[in-house]
Amino acid sequence: MPPGLDALKHIVVLMMENRSFDHMLGSLKAVNPQIDGVDGTQWNPDTQGNQVFVQPLAEFQSQLDPDPDHAFPAVDQQIFNGDQSNPRVASMKGFVQNYFQQQQDLAHSQKIMYYFTQQQLPVLTSLATNFAVFNRWFASIPGPTLCNRAFAHYGTSFGQVGMNVFYPQGKSIYERLQDAGHTAKLYYFDQQSSSLEVVNLLQHQPALFATYDQFLADCKSGTLSDYSFIEPNYSDHDNDDGEQLASDQHPDHNVQAGELFIASVYNAIQANATLWASTALLVVYDEHGGIFDHIAPPACTPDGYSAGPADTQLSYTFNFDRLGVRVPAVLISPWIPKGTVVGTDRVFEHASIPNTVTNHFIGPYPAATPREQAAQTFLDLLSLDTMRTDSVVFNT
Amino acid sequence: MTDAAPEPKQPGPRQRRPRTRTAPAERGDVTFIRVPLPPASAFNKNRPPGCLIQAQLKHIHHAESARLPKEKRDGRRPEDIKTESEAAEYIAKITKLLHPTRAKRRKPPLSN
Repeated sequence: MPPGLDALKHIVVLMMENRSFDHMLGSLKAVNPQIDGVDGTQWNPDTQGNQVFVQPLAEFQSQLDPDPDHAFPAVDQQIFNGDQSNPRVASMKGFVQNYFQQQQDLAHSQKIMYYFTQQQLPVLTSLATNFAVFNRWFASIPGPTLCNRAFAHYGTSFGQVGMNVFYPQGKSIYERLQDAGHTAKLYYFDQQSSSLEVVNLLQHQPALFATYDQFLADCKSGTLSDYSFIEPNYSDHDNDDGEQLASDQHPDHNVQAGELFIASVYNAIQANATLWASTALLVVYDEHGGIFDHIAPPACTPDGYSAGPADTQLSYTFNFDRLGVRVPAVLISPWIPKGTVVGTDRVFEHASIPNTVTNHFIGPYPAATPREQAAQTFLDLLSLDTMRTDSVVFNT
Repeated sequence: MTDAAPEPKQPGPRQRRPRTRTAPAERGDVTFIRVPLPPASAFNKNRPPGCLIQAQLKHIHHAESARLPKEKRDGRRPEDIKTESEAAEYIAKITKLLHPTRAKRRKPPLSN
């Protein structure tokens, strides 16, 4: 076993909200051409047939208001641009026209093509260039948040393509770990923000949960669980510590607040030398939030479920055989070679998370869905023979 | 008297400061990167709840209905909640019932 894997005692996943790869990390193509981002030539047609090119004009807040549609039918238009041929071509040319439908404002619809510069996002881009950035990490479903997050918890959404309440028919990664004698925690920001896993886990297994303050304390004391999943703050609100700014980066929440939160999670791990040497941190986004990305989502192994027209709100049944839009994903560990770019030949999705965690801590798990079992794992990226001694620290 | 004076409230950007220390001295090369704070104007607790919070409210309401007898329920429906602040208040109320956490330890009052 490589020494980095031998040393690995903790896996931490931070899942942010609703930003595409090109929007957040696309600018890094100029830094490293191996990173499959944008170079100014990518475009979408607007409703008048004009070519709207990507531009580095993204703003931290107030630009993507109203929140771009990312329900299943909207994402279908963004990917296929209305193509009804068989087989359909995933052209990634329907983003501008789809956003136009929300305000009927031509100029505003073009903002869906804007991306951030490297300088605007010092935390995410520094982590991406100092550790490992994935060229092909996709949302699990071409749809909204909750069904995509379900793939991170269960390796499937049990046939869901939307935001409805659902009941799992299989064990979450947290339950699997506990059954095998391991430890796991879901950390939500505070009680005002709470968890998105309310119906299935918070209600029935509250012992799995803790707040973000506890995560910071667990890092400091070296008592972090084997597996941790962190949820950002989903709302602007007051608590006992004063005003709390949403840090999830969901439009129209402030993107800089999310940068600070990512930095806080990273710094908490990095500041404890023992923990730093034995932890892998994955920062990943749940879905693209309706924002442009230029890579067509590939086909994938179905998970045995299907969603009919009543659920997809389209004329066809979805068999969970295609991934959602590409999202930012960065893996951080001192055992990863600096500047690793995970190639375009390796496709990851959120089912990669439970598959990786299960494989590392438990081993083969035949009860996982075919989809999860087929999902790529990512710990082979901890490939160094000697741990790096250089590091990045964020001053916040 | 051993108690420290309370820290003055910081004006400006409203963001919880990460409670972490900087790099240990025994490490190798360390690159320090400054992270800008969002402006104070970024905070808007009166913003209408977006689609994600609306869905969360429905799930919280579902759990409330399943777990609490009628006389102990909040009584609000998800569609009655008009701001992120109101949503946070309702979500906290039900979350405390589902997941009671230890109350924060208060600083003792200053002695004379």
